[in-house]
Amino acid sequence: MKSTLARVIAFFLFFSTLSGCGYNSIQQNEEAVNHSWGDLESQLQRRADLVPNLVATVKGAANFEKETLTAVIEARSKATSIQLKPEMLSDPAAMAKFREAQGNLSSTLSRLLVTVERYPELKANQNFRDLQNQLEGTENRISVARQRYNAAVETFNFSIRQFPNSMTNSLLLKLKAKEYFKADEAAKAVPGVKF
Amino acid sequence: MAAILLVVILQFVTFSTVWAAIAVPALTGRINDNAAMISAPARVEMEAKLKQFEAAESNQIVILTVPSLQGDPIEDFSIRVAEAWKIGQKGSDNGVLLIVSRDDHKVRIEVGYGLEGKLTDLTAGRIVREEIVPAFKAGQFDEGFSRGVSAIIAATHGEYKAKPKADRNGEKPSMSLLVIIFAVIYLIYQFFRRFFWGGFGGGFFGGGGSSSNDDNFSGGGGGFGGGGSSGDW
Repeated sequence: MKSTLARVIAFFLFFSTLSGCGYNSIQQNEEAVNHSWGDLESQLQRRADLVPNLVATVKGAANFEKETLTAVIEARSKATSIQLKPEMLSDPAAMAKFREAQGNLSSTLSRLLVTVERYPELKANQNFRDLQNQLEGTENRISVARQRYNAAVETFNFSIRQFPNSMTNSLLLKLKAKEYFKADEAAKAVPGVKF
Repeated sequence: MAAILLVVILQFVTFSTVWAAIAVPALTGRINDNAAMISAPARVEMEAKLKQFEAAESNQIVILTVPSLQGDPIEDFSIRVAEAWKIGQKGSDNGVLLIVSRDDHKVRIEVGYGLEGKLTDLTAGRIVREEIVPAFKAGQFDEGFSRGVSAIIAATHGEYKAKPKADRNGEKPSMSLLVIIFAVIYLIYQFFRRFFWGGFGGGFFGGGGSSSNDDNFSGGGGGFGGGGSSGDW
């Protein structure tokens, strides 16, 4: 009888120390980071998927300047060629490269939308307006996903630095802090859309 | 004295950084007309319509009007409200928030995850541009809200069915025992955890759901991801 009780207590002790040291919560927080990164990536992909349609529609407009379009196409192919696996989220250089490629696509896209202002027949085109609407929605989703990713990173980074988790991490898990996905200044200007 | 002053200043500083953005208002019902834009008869009519729609299909549509956004982009404010109110049913994420800022002349439809398929950005954009904005431009706010609500209902109709009441109450009775067992284990575990890490890790349970005075209307736990569309008049 006594030994059963001792065993039960030992059982709970084992689990409580394991969770008390943050082993589980660190894992959980890392999963949350990976999950929110996946969401962010799928929104970025969604934007990249809209670009060919947008370019095709704009191309139809009489003598639309070629350089703007070429810049968008190039930025898109560069942005889609750089992928960032969840394991690479702690790598500042890889993240900077990824961010730069995506930021470049953002800024060329907003330049394209500004240029369109000079083409009234294009602005009146229903197809173009629909695309612009979708692009706007996607940019908003990206910004929501980015905020959630950054919040998850903050929680994770804090959880591996907080005592006693910091000891668990340095002894057992050896996870590195994740990188934030900051918006660059150029990309911050969400395409201004006036109807 | 100086210490009190310091605390007050510190509080002010932290609060001003945290609350630089406009605060999320309380959810008081299906129609939260904080900017007094909707007349009483229109309000009653829309409330009945929304209530009936939720009863039939479980989709929750909520209206919020605010006097001003105080410089916030409507998209930022809107997602914060949606995250706080959790409109829509948990699991279905079928909530829609129609948000209007009176003095900024801005309107946005924020769409929950579960309705993004039917109420796409495009559809939401068209509802804003073609149903709401023309009426608002003419100064007919009741008309704009009413047409907007009807269009949102029409667009989201048929995506979900409300669960029958009896089903919802008697949901898997065998689960309850399991829940109690887990609760007991959890309490014991928390006790030991507190015992060893006295003070770490906050209270036993998280905050409960919110309720309100409009026949106990509250968000059902729906999630949002920034879908929808904005416009201005």
